[in-house]
Amino acid sequence: MKLAPLPSLIRPHGQQHELEPAGITAPAAIPGAESSSFHFHTVTWQADGFGFDSTSGEFFTASPTALIVMQALSEGIARQQILDRLTTRFEVARSTAERDLESFLAELVHIGLTPESN
Amino acid sequence: MNASPVIAVTGLHRGENPQPGSAVIRSLRRIYPELRIIGLVYDSLESGLFSEEDAPDAAFTMSYPGAGVEAFWQRLDAIREIEHFDVLIPCLDAEMGPLVDSPEKLRERGIRACLPTAESFKCRDKSKLAELCERTHCRTPQTIAVSDVNSLHQAAAALGGNVFVKGRFYEARHAITPAAREAAYWHMLEQWGAPVLVQENVQGEEYNVVGLGDGTGRILGSCSIRKMLRTSSGKGFGGMIVRDPQLDAIAQSLIEELRWNGPFELEFVKSEGPKGEYCLIEINPRFPAWCDFPSTLNCNLPAAAFELALGWQPREPLRHAIPGKFFIRHAIDMTGDIRDLAALTTTGQFFRQPREIIPHPASSHGL
Repeated sequence: MKLAPLPSLIRPHGQQHELEPAGITAPAAIPGAESSSFHFHTVTWQADGFGFDSTSGEFFTASPTALIVMQALSEGIARQQILDRLTTRFEVARSTAERDLESFLAELVHIGLTPESN
Repeated sequence: MNASPVIAVTGLHRGENPQPGSAVIRSLRRIYPELRIIGLVYDSLESGLFSEEDAPDAAFTMSYPGAGVEAFWQRLDAIREIEHFDVLIPCLDAEMGPLVDSPEKLRERGIRACLPTAESFKCRDKSKLAELCERTHCRTPQTIAVSDVNSLHQAAAALGGNVFVKGRFYEARHAITPAAREAAYWHMLEQWGAPVLVQENVQGEEYNVVGLGDGTGRILGSCSIRKMLRTSSGKGFGGMIVRDPQLDAIAQSLIEELRWNGPFELEFVKSEGPKGEYCLIEINPRFPAWCDFPSTLNCNLPAAAFELALGWQPREPLRHAIPGKFFIRHAIDMTGDIRDLAALTTTGQFFRQPREIIPHPASSHGL
Protein backbone atom coordinates (compact mmCIF):
# COMPACT_ATOMS: atom_id res chain seq x y z
CA MET A 1 0.00 0.00 0.00
CA LYS A 2 1.27 3.43 -0.92
CA LEU A 3 1.25 6.31 1.43
CA ALA A 4 -1.32 8.76 0.19
CA PRO A 5 -0.01 12.25 -0.33
CA LEU A 6 -0.85 14.19 2.80
CA PRO A 7 -3.83 16.30 2.21
CA SER A 8 -4.43 19.73 0.92
CA LEU A 9 -7.45 21.59 2.24
CA ILE A 10 -10.51 22.61 0.40
CA ARG A 11 -13.83 24.01 1.53
CA PRO A 12 -16.43 22.51 -0.76
CA HIS A 13 -19.51 24.20 0.73
CA GLY A 14 -17.96 27.05 2.71
CA GLN A 15 -18.62 24.96 5.81
CA GLN A 16 -16.83 21.70 5.85
CA HIS A 17 -13.06 21.34 5.69
CA GLU A 18 -11.97 18.32 3.74
CA LEU A 19 -8.65 16.66 4.41
CA GLU A 20 -8.79 14.10 1.64
CA PRO A 21 -6.01 13.15 -0.77
CA ALA A 22 -7.09 13.14 -4.37
CA GLY A 23 -7.74 9.76 -5.94
CA ILE A 24 -7.81 7.85 -2.66
CA THR A 25 -10.93 6.12 -1.47
CA ALA A 26 -11.07 6.19 2.29
CA PRO A 27 -11.67 2.82 3.93
CA ALA A 28 -14.39 2.51 6.57
CA ALA A 29 -11.88 2.71 9.41
CA ILE A 30 -8.33 3.90 9.97
CA PRO A 31 -5.87 1.07 9.39
CA GLY A 32 -4.44 0.15 12.73
CA ALA A 33 -6.67 2.47 14.70
CA GLU A 34 -7.25 1.10 18.17
CA SER A 35 -10.16 3.21 19.32
CA SER A 36 -13.26 4.45 17.51
CA SER A 37 -12.61 8.12 18.28
CA PHE A 38 -9.87 10.37 19.61
CA HIS A 39 -9.41 14.02 20.52
CA PHE A 40 -6.87 16.12 18.73
CA HIS A 41 -6.61 19.77 19.76
CA THR A 42 -10.30 20.83 19.94
CA VAL A 43 -11.55 18.29 17.42
CA THR A 44 -13.03 14.87 18.11
CA TRP A 45 -12.19 12.51 15.23
CA GLN A 46 -14.22 9.43 14.40
CA ALA A 47 -12.66 6.36 12.82
CA ASP A 48 -14.52 7.09 9.59
CA GLY A 49 -12.60 10.36 9.22
CA PHE A 50 -15.28 12.79 10.38
CA GLY A 51 -14.12 15.43 12.85
CA PHE A 52 -16.18 17.90 14.91
CA ASP A 53 -14.79 20.94 16.74
CA SER A 54 -17.11 21.60 19.68
CA THR A 55 -15.67 25.07 20.36
CA SER A 56 -16.05 26.43 16.85
CA GLY A 57 -18.88 24.22 15.56
CA GLU A 58 -16.88 23.43 12.42
CA PHE A 59 -16.60 19.95 10.99
CA PHE A 60 -14.00 18.26 8.84
CA THR A 61 -13.23 15.12 6.94
CA ALA A 62 -9.77 13.57 6.87
CA SER A 63 -8.04 10.85 4.87
CA PRO A 64 -6.91 7.66 6.65
CA THR A 65 -3.26 8.82 6.58
CA ALA A 66 -4.17 12.21 8.01
CA LEU A 67 -6.02 10.45 10.82
CA ILE A 68 -2.97 8.33 11.62
CA VAL A 69 -0.81 11.42 11.90
CA MET A 70 -3.32 13.31 14.06
CA GLN A 71 -3.86 10.31 16.32
CA ALA A 72 -0.10 10.01 16.77
CA LEU A 73 0.15 13.74 17.56
CA SER A 74 -2.69 13.42 20.07
CA GLU A 75 -0.69 10.69 21.83
CA GLY A 76 2.31 13.01 22.04
CA ILE A 77 4.40 10.96 19.65
CA ALA A 78 7.46 12.74 18.23
CA ARG A 79 7.85 13.41 14.51
CA GLN A 80 10.55 10.81 13.99
CA GLN A 81 8.34 8.15 15.51
CA ILE A 82 5.40 9.30 13.39
CA LEU A 83 7.62 8.84 10.35
CA ASP A 84 8.56 5.35 11.63
CA ARG A 85 4.87 4.54 11.97
CA LEU A 86 4.10 5.76 8.45
CA THR A 87 7.02 4.04 6.75
CA THR A 88 6.31 0.78 8.59
CA ARG A 89 2.65 0.83 7.69
CA PHE A 90 2.98 2.05 4.10
CA GLU A 91 5.45 1.51 1.29
CA VAL A 92 6.91 4.96 1.11
CA ALA A 93 10.36 6.49 1.07
CA ARG A 94 11.22 8.18 4.35
CA SER A 95 12.15 11.41 2.56
CA THR A 96 8.76 11.49 0.82
CA ALA A 97 6.91 10.80 4.06
CA GLU A 98 8.93 13.51 5.82
CA ARG A 99 8.13 16.10 3.14
CA ASP A 100 4.43 15.25 3.21
CA LEU A 101 4.31 15.29 6.99
CA GLU A 102 5.85 18.78 7.15
CA SER A 103 3.38 20.00 4.58
CA PHE A 104 0.45 18.49 6.50
CA LEU A 105 1.59 19.98 9.82
CA ALA A 106 1.79 23.39 8.17
CA GLU A 107 -1.79 22.94 6.93
CA LEU A 108 -2.94 22.10 10.44
CA VAL A 109 -1.35 25.26 11.82
CA HIS A 110 -2.87 27.30 9.00
CA ILE A 111 -6.44 26.28 9.82
CA GLY A 112 -5.83 26.45 13.57
CA LEU A 113 -6.16 22.75 14.26
CA THR A 114 -2.96 22.58 16.25
CA PRO A 115 -0.86 25.07 18.18
CA GLU A 116 2.29 26.18 16.36
CA SER A 117 4.41 24.68 19.13
CA ASN A 118 3.42 21.20 17.87
CA MET B 1 -53.69 37.47 39.37
CA ASN B 2 -55.49 34.52 37.80
CA ALA B 3 -55.41 31.24 39.77
CA SER B 4 -53.62 29.77 36.79
CA PRO B 5 -51.43 32.48 35.24
CA VAL B 6 -52.27 33.71 31.75
CA ILE B 7 -49.42 34.87 29.54
CA ALA B 8 -49.32 37.23 26.56
CA VAL B 9 -46.72 36.89 23.81
CA THR B 10 -46.02 39.12 20.79
CA GLY B 11 -44.20 38.59 17.48
CA LEU B 12 -45.97 35.57 16.01
CA HIS B 13 -44.98 35.84 12.36
CA ARG B 14 -42.49 33.23 11.20
CA GLY B 15 -41.93 34.47 7.67
CA GLU B 16 -38.73 35.24 5.83
CA ASN B 17 -37.58 37.28 8.82
CA PRO B 18 -39.02 35.09 11.59
CA GLN B 19 -40.20 36.62 14.84
CA PRO B 20 -39.64 34.78 18.15
CA GLY B 21 -43.19 34.62 19.59
CA SER B 22 -44.21 31.25 18.17
CA ALA B 23 -40.96 29.67 19.36
CA VAL B 24 -41.60 31.13 22.83
CA ILE B 25 -45.13 29.63 22.84
CA ARG B 26 -43.83 26.24 21.76
CA SER B 27 -41.22 26.26 24.54
CA LEU B 28 -43.77 27.29 27.18
CA ARG B 29 -46.09 24.47 26.14
CA ARG B 30 -43.26 21.94 26.44
CA ILE B 31 -43.31 22.55 30.21
CA TYR B 32 -46.82 23.93 30.74
CA PRO B 33 -49.09 22.27 28.15
CA GLU B 34 -52.27 23.68 29.72
CA LEU B 35 -51.03 27.26 30.01
CA ARG B 36 -53.45 29.84 28.56
CA ILE B 37 -51.53 31.95 26.06
CA ILE B 38 -52.69 35.17 24.45
CA GLY B 39 -51.13 36.40 21.20
CA LEU B 40 -50.76 40.13 20.68
CA VAL B 41 -50.40 40.71 16.94
CA TYR B 42 -49.89 43.64 14.61
CA ASP B 43 -51.25 41.91 11.54
CA SER B 44 -54.08 39.44 11.08
CA LEU B 45 -51.84 37.35 8.83
CA GLU B 46 -49.14 36.64 11.43
CA SER B 47 -48.42 33.01 10.58
CA GLY B 48 -48.23 31.71 14.15
CA LEU B 49 -51.98 32.31 14.55
CA PHE B 50 -52.69 29.49 12.15
CA SER B 51 -50.23 26.92 13.42
CA GLU B 52 -51.44 23.63 14.86
CA GLU B 53 -48.75 23.52 17.53
CA ASP B 54 -47.70 27.09 18.29
CA ALA B 55 -50.95 29.02 18.07
CA PRO B 56 -52.14 31.06 21.06
CA ASP B 57 -55.51 30.29 22.64
CA ALA B 58 -56.70 33.76 21.71
CA ALA B 59 -55.25 36.69 19.81
CA PHE B 60 -55.79 40.43 19.75
CA THR B 61 -54.57 43.06 17.35
CA MET B 62 -52.34 45.74 18.84
CA SER B 63 -51.92 49.34 17.75
CA TYR B 64 -48.81 49.92 15.67
CA PRO B 65 -45.83 51.43 17.53
CA GLY B 66 -46.16 54.43 15.20
CA ALA B 67 -49.52 55.24 16.83
CA GLY B 68 -47.69 56.29 19.97
CA VAL B 69 -47.12 55.09 23.50
CA GLU B 70 -50.54 56.17 24.83
CA ALA B 71 -52.34 54.17 22.16
CA PHE B 72 -50.17 51.15 23.09
CA TRP B 73 -51.20 51.27 26.76
CA GLN B 74 -54.85 51.99 25.96
CA ARG B 75 -55.04 48.98 23.68
CA LEU B 76 -53.33 46.80 26.28
CA ASP B 77 -55.95 47.91 28.85
CA ALA B 78 -58.80 47.20 26.44
CA ILE B 79 -57.44 43.70 25.76
CA ARG B 80 -57.05 43.01 29.48
CA GLU B 81 -60.72 43.77 30.04
CA ILE B 82 -61.42 40.74 27.87
CA GLU B 83 -58.38 38.59 28.72
CA HIS B 84 -56.80 39.53 32.02
CA PHE B 85 -53.28 38.25 31.33
CA ASP B 86 -50.71 38.25 34.14
CA VAL B 87 -47.37 37.92 32.34
CA LEU B 88 -46.07 39.57 29.18
CA ILE B 89 -43.16 38.31 27.08
CA PRO B 90 -42.48 41.00 24.45
CA CYS B 91 -40.67 39.57 21.43
CA LEU B 92 -40.20 42.60 19.18
CA ASP B 93 -37.46 45.21 19.56
CA ALA B 94 -39.79 48.11 18.76
CA GLU B 95 -42.02 47.25 21.75
CA MET B 96 -39.21 47.17 24.24
CA GLY B 97 -38.64 50.94 24.52
CA PRO B 98 -42.09 51.87 25.90
CA LEU B 99 -42.02 48.90 28.28
CA VAL B 100 -38.56 49.44 29.79
CA ASP B 101 -39.17 53.20 30.03
CA SER B 102 -42.33 52.73 32.10
CA PRO B 103 -42.00 49.67 34.34
CA GLU B 104 -44.41 51.38 36.78
CA LYS B 105 -47.16 51.20 34.15
CA LEU B 106 -46.76 47.43 34.07
CA ARG B 107 -46.60 47.23 37.87
CA GLU B 108 -49.73 49.31 38.45
CA ARG B 109 -51.63 47.05 36.07
CA GLY B 110 -50.30 43.93 37.79
CA ILE B 111 -48.52 42.72 34.66
CA ARG B 112 -45.35 40.74 35.37
CA ALA B 113 -42.50 40.83 32.90
CA CYS B 114 -38.85 39.94 32.82
CA LEU B 115 -37.35 43.18 31.50
CA PRO B 116 -34.01 45.00 31.72
CA THR B 117 -33.78 48.40 33.37
CA ALA B 118 -34.00 51.43 31.10
CA GLU B 119 -30.30 52.07 31.77
CA SER B 120 -29.06 48.64 30.76
CA PHE B 121 -31.42 48.68 27.78
CA LYS B 122 -29.86 51.92 26.53
CA CYS B 123 -26.31 50.71 27.13
CA ARG B 124 -26.82 47.84 24.63
CA ASP B 125 -28.24 50.11 21.95
CA LYS B 126 -26.41 49.70 18.64
CA SER B 127 -25.15 53.27 18.85
CA LYS B 128 -23.69 52.71 22.37
CA LEU B 129 -22.12 49.32 21.78
CA ALA B 130 -18.59 50.69 21.41
CA GLU B 131 -18.69 52.19 24.94
CA LEU B 132 -19.98 48.94 26.43
CA CYS B 133 -17.32 46.95 24.62
CA GLU B 134 -14.59 49.29 25.81
CA ARG B 135 -15.66 48.70 29.41
CA THR B 136 -15.75 44.92 28.95
CA HIS B 137 -12.66 44.63 26.71
CA CYS B 138 -14.71 43.03 23.96
CA ARG B 139 -14.08 43.73 20.28
CA THR B 140 -16.84 45.36 18.24
CA PRO B 141 -16.88 46.73 14.69
CA GLN B 142 -16.69 50.48 14.34
CA THR B 143 -20.21 51.86 13.98
CA ILE B 144 -21.29 55.38 13.05
CA ALA B 145 -24.86 56.66 13.42
CA VAL B 146 -25.96 58.89 10.54
CA SER B 147 -29.08 60.90 9.80
CA ASP B 148 -28.37 62.30 6.34
CA VAL B 149 -26.87 61.13 3.07
CA ASN B 150 -23.68 63.23 3.29
CA SER B 151 -22.87 61.77 6.71
CA LEU B 152 -23.62 58.31 5.31
CA HIS B 153 -20.96 58.61 2.62
CA GLN B 154 -18.45 60.22 4.99
CA ALA B 155 -18.97 57.41 7.51
CA ALA B 156 -18.62 54.74 4.82
CA ALA B 157 -15.40 56.34 3.55
CA ALA B 158 -14.01 56.47 7.09
CA LEU B 159 -14.77 52.74 7.48
CA GLY B 160 -13.09 51.72 4.22
CA GLY B 161 -16.13 51.72 1.91
CA ASN B 162 -17.04 48.06 2.45
CA VAL B 163 -19.74 48.46 5.12
CA PHE B 164 -23.07 47.27 6.46
CA VAL B 165 -25.95 49.75 6.54
CA LYS B 166 -28.22 48.82 9.42
CA GLY B 167 -31.66 49.78 10.68
CA ARG B 168 -32.15 51.08 14.19
CA PHE B 169 -34.02 47.95 15.27
CA TYR B 170 -33.64 45.34 12.52
CA GLU B 171 -32.06 44.60 9.16
CA ALA B 172 -28.62 45.03 7.72
CA ARG B 173 -27.50 45.34 4.12
CA HIS B 174 -24.00 44.86 2.84
CA ALA B 175 -23.15 47.87 0.67
CA ILE B 176 -19.97 48.58 -1.24
CA THR B 177 -21.01 51.15 -3.84
CA PRO B 178 -22.37 54.64 -3.05
CA ALA B 179 -25.61 53.79 -4.88
CA ALA B 180 -26.12 50.60 -2.81
CA ARG B 181 -25.38 52.53 0.38
CA GLU B 182 -27.93 55.22 -0.47
CA ALA B 183 -30.61 52.68 -1.38
CA ALA B 184 -29.99 50.84 1.90
CA TYR B 185 -30.00 54.13 3.82
CA TRP B 186 -33.43 55.21 2.51
CA HIS B 187 -34.84 51.73 3.08
CA MET B 188 -33.66 51.63 6.71
CA LEU B 189 -34.85 55.17 7.36
CA GLU B 190 -38.29 54.41 6.00
CA GLN B 191 -38.61 51.09 7.85
CA TRP B 192 -37.05 51.86 11.21
CA GLY B 193 -36.54 55.61 11.47
CA ALA B 194 -33.39 57.59 12.29
CA PRO B 195 -30.59 57.14 12.98
CA VAL B 196 -29.30 54.69 10.39
CA LEU B 197 -26.09 52.88 11.36
CA VAL B 198 -23.02 52.37 9.21
CA GLN B 199 -20.87 49.49 10.42
CA GLU B 200 -17.42 48.23 9.50
CA ASN B 201 -17.57 44.85 7.72
CA VAL B 202 -15.89 42.15 9.81
CA GLN B 203 -15.59 38.90 7.88
CA GLY B 204 -15.83 35.53 9.55
CA GLU B 205 -18.17 32.96 11.02
CA GLU B 206 -21.25 34.13 12.92
CA TYR B 207 -21.89 32.98 16.48
CA ASN B 208 -24.98 33.72 18.57
CA VAL B 209 -25.65 33.29 22.28
CA VAL B 210 -29.18 33.14 23.67
CA GLY B 211 -29.56 33.47 27.42
CA LEU B 212 -31.47 34.71 30.41
CA GLY B 213 -30.05 37.23 32.87
CA ASP B 214 -31.30 37.51 36.46
CA GLY B 215 -30.69 41.26 36.84
CA THR B 216 -27.77 40.89 39.24
CA GLY B 217 -25.16 40.06 36.60
CA ARG B 218 -25.68 36.31 36.54
CA ILE B 219 -26.65 34.27 33.50
CA LEU B 220 -29.27 31.72 34.56
CA GLY B 221 -28.87 29.71 31.39
CA SER B 222 -27.48 30.09 27.89
CA CYS B 223 -26.87 28.29 24.63
CA SER B 224 -24.32 29.22 21.94
CA ILE B 225 -24.49 28.35 18.26
CA ARG B 226 -22.52 28.86 15.07
CA LYS B 227 -24.80 29.88 12.23
CA MET B 228 -24.64 27.10 9.64
CA LEU B 229 -27.17 28.35 7.12
CA ARG B 230 -28.16 31.91 6.36
CA THR B 231 -30.93 33.43 4.27
CA SER B 232 -30.11 36.04 1.64
CA SER B 233 -30.82 38.68 4.29
CA GLY B 234 -28.38 37.07 6.73
CA LYS B 235 -30.95 35.45 9.02
CA GLY B 236 -29.86 32.17 10.58
CA PHE B 237 -31.69 29.19 9.10
CA GLY B 238 -29.59 26.58 10.83
CA GLY B 239 -27.21 26.54 13.77
CA MET B 240 -24.74 24.17 15.43
CA ILE B 241 -24.33 24.21 19.21
CA VAL B 242 -20.82 25.09 20.35
CA ARG B 243 -19.19 25.34 23.76
CA ASP B 244 -16.26 27.73 23.78
CA PRO B 245 -15.06 28.93 27.21
CA GLN B 246 -13.81 32.13 25.56
CA LEU B 247 -17.27 32.90 24.15
CA ASP B 248 -18.91 32.03 27.49
CA ALA B 249 -16.54 34.41 29.29
CA ILE B 250 -17.30 37.29 26.90
CA ALA B 251 -21.05 36.72 27.29
CA GLN B 252 -20.69 36.63 31.07
CA SER B 253 -18.72 39.88 31.20
CA LEU B 254 -21.25 41.71 29.00
CA ILE B 255 -24.27 40.53 31.00
CA GLU B 256 -22.50 41.25 34.27
CA GLU B 257 -21.64 44.78 33.15
CA LEU B 258 -25.23 45.41 32.04
CA ARG B 259 -26.77 43.61 35.03
CA TRP B 260 -29.17 42.36 32.40
CA ASN B 261 -32.58 41.16 33.49
CA GLY B 262 -34.49 38.91 31.10
CA PRO B 263 -33.88 37.28 27.75
CA PHE B 264 -31.07 38.35 25.43
CA GLU B 265 -29.29 37.33 22.27
CA LEU B 266 -25.66 38.27 21.64
CA GLU B 267 -24.51 38.29 18.02
CA PHE B 268 -20.82 37.85 17.22
CA VAL B 269 -18.60 37.44 14.19
CA LYS B 270 -15.37 35.54 14.76
CA SER B 271 -12.69 36.80 12.42
CA GLU B 272 -11.09 34.13 10.25
CA GLY B 273 -7.85 32.35 11.07
CA PRO B 274 -6.43 30.48 14.05
CA LYS B 275 -6.18 33.69 16.06
CA GLY B 276 -9.67 34.89 15.17
CA GLU B 277 -11.36 36.98 17.85
CA TYR B 278 -15.03 37.29 18.71
CA CYS B 279 -16.38 40.65 17.65
CA LEU B 280 -19.74 41.75 19.13
CA ILE B 281 -22.15 42.86 16.41
CA GLU B 282 -25.23 43.55 18.50
CA ILE B 283 -27.25 42.65 21.57
CA ASN B 284 -30.92 41.88 21.03
CA PRO B 285 -33.04 42.62 24.13
CA ARG B 286 -35.36 39.63 23.66
CA PHE B 287 -35.47 35.99 22.69
CA PRO B 288 -34.35 35.12 19.14
CA ALA B 289 -36.54 33.12 16.73
CA TRP B 290 -34.40 29.99 17.39
CA CYS B 291 -35.07 30.00 21.17
CA ASP B 292 -37.15 26.81 21.05
CA PHE B 293 -34.20 24.77 19.79
CA PRO B 294 -32.34 24.73 23.16
CA SER B 295 -35.68 23.90 24.83
CA THR B 296 -35.58 20.54 23.08
CA LEU B 297 -32.25 19.92 24.87
CA ASN B 298 -33.12 20.70 28.52
CA CYS B 299 -32.43 24.41 28.27
CA ASN B 300 -35.95 25.89 28.20
CA LEU B 301 -35.22 29.59 28.56
CA PRO B 302 -38.75 30.90 27.74
CA ALA B 303 -40.24 28.71 30.50
CA ALA B 304 -37.54 29.97 32.89
CA ALA B 305 -38.34 33.59 31.92
CA PHE B 306 -42.01 32.94 32.66
CA GLU B 307 -41.10 31.48 36.07
CA LEU B 308 -38.70 34.35 36.79
CA ALA B 309 -41.38 36.93 35.95
CA LEU B 310 -43.75 35.27 38.43
CA GLY B 311 -41.06 34.99 41.10
CA TRP B 312 -41.26 31.19 40.97
CA GLN B 313 -38.34 28.92 41.56
CA PRO B 314 -37.21 27.52 38.19
CA ARG B 315 -38.87 24.17 37.64
CA GLU B 316 -35.69 22.55 36.41
CA PRO B 317 -32.01 23.51 36.12
CA LEU B 318 -31.01 25.01 32.79
CA ARG B 319 -28.30 23.01 31.11
CA HIS B 320 -26.01 24.21 28.37
CA ALA B 321 -27.01 22.05 25.44
CA ILE B 322 -24.51 19.54 24.10
CA PRO B 323 -22.21 20.66 21.25
CA GLY B 324 -22.93 18.79 18.07
CA LYS B 325 -26.70 19.16 18.20
CA PHE B 326 -27.96 21.46 15.48
CA PHE B 327 -31.18 22.92 14.14
CA ILE B 328 -32.35 23.42 10.61
CA ARG B 329 -35.37 25.59 10.00
CA HIS B 330 -38.11 24.00 7.91
CA ALA B 331 -40.81 26.19 6.37
CA ILE B 332 -44.23 24.60 6.01
CA ASP B 333 -47.64 25.75 4.80
CA MET B 334 -50.41 26.51 7.33
CA THR B 335 -54.09 26.17 6.69
CA GLY B 336 -56.15 29.14 7.82
CA ASP B 337 -59.87 29.72 7.84
CA ILE B 338 -61.49 32.86 6.51
CA ARG B 339 -63.67 33.05 9.67
CA ASP B 340 -60.58 33.50 11.87
CA LEU B 341 -59.24 36.14 9.56
CA ALA B 342 -62.61 37.92 9.53
CA ALA B 343 -62.80 37.89 13.32
CA LEU B 344 -59.37 39.45 13.71
CA THR B 345 -59.87 41.98 10.98
CA THR B 346 -63.30 43.21 12.07
CA THR B 347 -63.24 42.87 15.87
CA GLY B 348 -59.50 42.76 16.53
CA GLN B 349 -59.86 39.50 18.45
CA PHE B 350 -59.92 35.82 17.75
CA PHE B 351 -60.51 32.81 19.99
CA ARG B 352 -59.13 29.51 18.87
CA GLN B 353 -61.74 26.88 18.13
CA PRO B 354 -61.06 23.17 17.98
CA ARG B 355 -60.12 22.21 14.44
CA GLU B 356 -62.80 20.63 12.31
CA ILE B 357 -62.02 17.03 11.50
CA ILE B 358 -63.20 16.12 8.03
CA PRO B 359 -63.63 12.34 7.94
CA HIS B 360 -62.42 10.40 4.95
CA PRO B 361 -65.43 8.93 3.09
CA ALA B 362 -63.95 5.48 3.45
CA SER B 363 -63.84 5.77 7.26
CA SER B 364 -67.63 5.22 7.53
CA HIS B 365 -67.26 1.79 5.98
CA GLY B 366 -66.08 -1.13 8.02
CA LEU B 367 -62.76 -2.65 7.12
